[in-house]
Amino acid sequence: MTDKTTPEERLSAWLDGALSPEEAAAFEAELERNPELAERAASWRANDSFIAGALAPLADQPIGDDLLAQMGLAEPQPMPIAANDNPVWWRRSWVPVGGALAAGLALVLVLNQRPAALPLDGGLSLALDTTPALQQARLADGRTIEPVLTARAADGRWCREYRLADQTGIACRTGQGWKVEAEGKTPAPQTGGDIQLAGGAGSAAINAAHARLGTADPLDAAGEQALIAKGWGDR
Amino acid sequence: MADPGSDAQAMRAAIVAALPRLRRFCRGLTGHGEDGDDLMQSTVERALGRAHLFEAGTRVDAWMFRIARNLHIDAVRAGSRRGQQIDIEEIAETRGEDGRDLVENRSDLAAAQRALQTVPEDQRSAFLLVVVEGLSYREAAEVLEVPVGTIMSRLARARSRIDAAVGRSGGGLQ
Repeated sequence: MTDKTTPEERLSAWLDGALSPEEAAAFEAELERNPELAERAASWRANDSFIAGALAPLADQPIGDDLLAQMGLAEPQPMPIAANDNPVWWRRSWVPVGGALAAGLALVLVLNQRPAALPLDGGLSLALDTTPALQQARLADGRTIEPVLTARAADGRWCREYRLADQTGIACRTGQGWKVEAEGKTPAPQTGGDIQLAGGAGSAAINAAHARLGTADPLDAAGEQALIAKGWGDR
Repeated sequence: MADPGSDAQAMRAAIVAALPRLRRFCRGLTGHGEDGDDLMQSTVERALGRAHLFEAGTRVDAWMFRIARNLHIDAVRAGSRRGQQIDIEEIAETRGEDGRDLVENRSDLAAAQRALQTVPEDQRSAFLLVVVEGLSYREAAEVLEVPVGTIMSRLARARSRIDAAVGRSGGGLQ
């Protein structure tokens, strides 16, 4: 990349993490030697983050129902799950079903019977990257995945609990993509929109994973949408 | 894809999921809230009408960015949308007014939009895709249908131009 590139192109590519490790190291050595270049790098980086930060909220604004209808997109959407006021939310799932969270989930499942398959063959990672909680996406192999919730682990990674066919799992996102932290058989049959949050080996595995990961409260729909919109914070 | 109804529904769901970012991209491209939303609507209309042309296995959001960008270029060429580059001096003059050229009320957004409007459209598209939407160079190259090297040079020129504009208007972006 360095053969025919200008110093400004190298600076730009360095800011974007688009240089190879060798090129980046060479460029960083150049930055050390050249204060003017270093100053420009700082200035460009500040401009980038200012502009990206100023535009970020634009993707957080919900698209109104009227606008969706105008665009011919007024399909019924799943209701967002309300933020849970329980401070250690996942421990609720030790308790057999009950309470507002379970009722909310059941309602959403009833409203969201039809799988919204993505016309992509991109597999699990892509589905986890792009599918809001409680919406379903169909994978290339025909299985249906449904993210259940999104929460941040104690180590800072974003994690998603999901149902994939008859399995329940939890995966956390690193720079390289999603890594499955635990998976187990979904405990209860989901008939009539009824769901069971507790019981069974799968549930115990998921609870143990949440405990090990130290996951915080799950994000609300808007927070999750924002994360999806910005590609989970990486580029 | 055996079931056309299910495919259409799947496409709609993917389009809806991409809308918030598409709207941001459109507003960044046009520099204007209303024009951006108009562009978003035209993009969705075009995407729904041409869903059969969507290449399975590629990203719906990237496909929509490409449609939006092409529609924007067409509209600018036809003179139906503000697409002219705003002169840097003119920007300094409009700074702080709540006038016609200031498209958003919030000052950070307005300042960012002004800076973006100093950049020619091809460079602005590359900048928005990579810096704001987080696409890789390769993905941005596919959206804009140019080689990766072109993305690199457009980004460098965009950043250089934005930096110059910021310097000239004094006091930086913030």
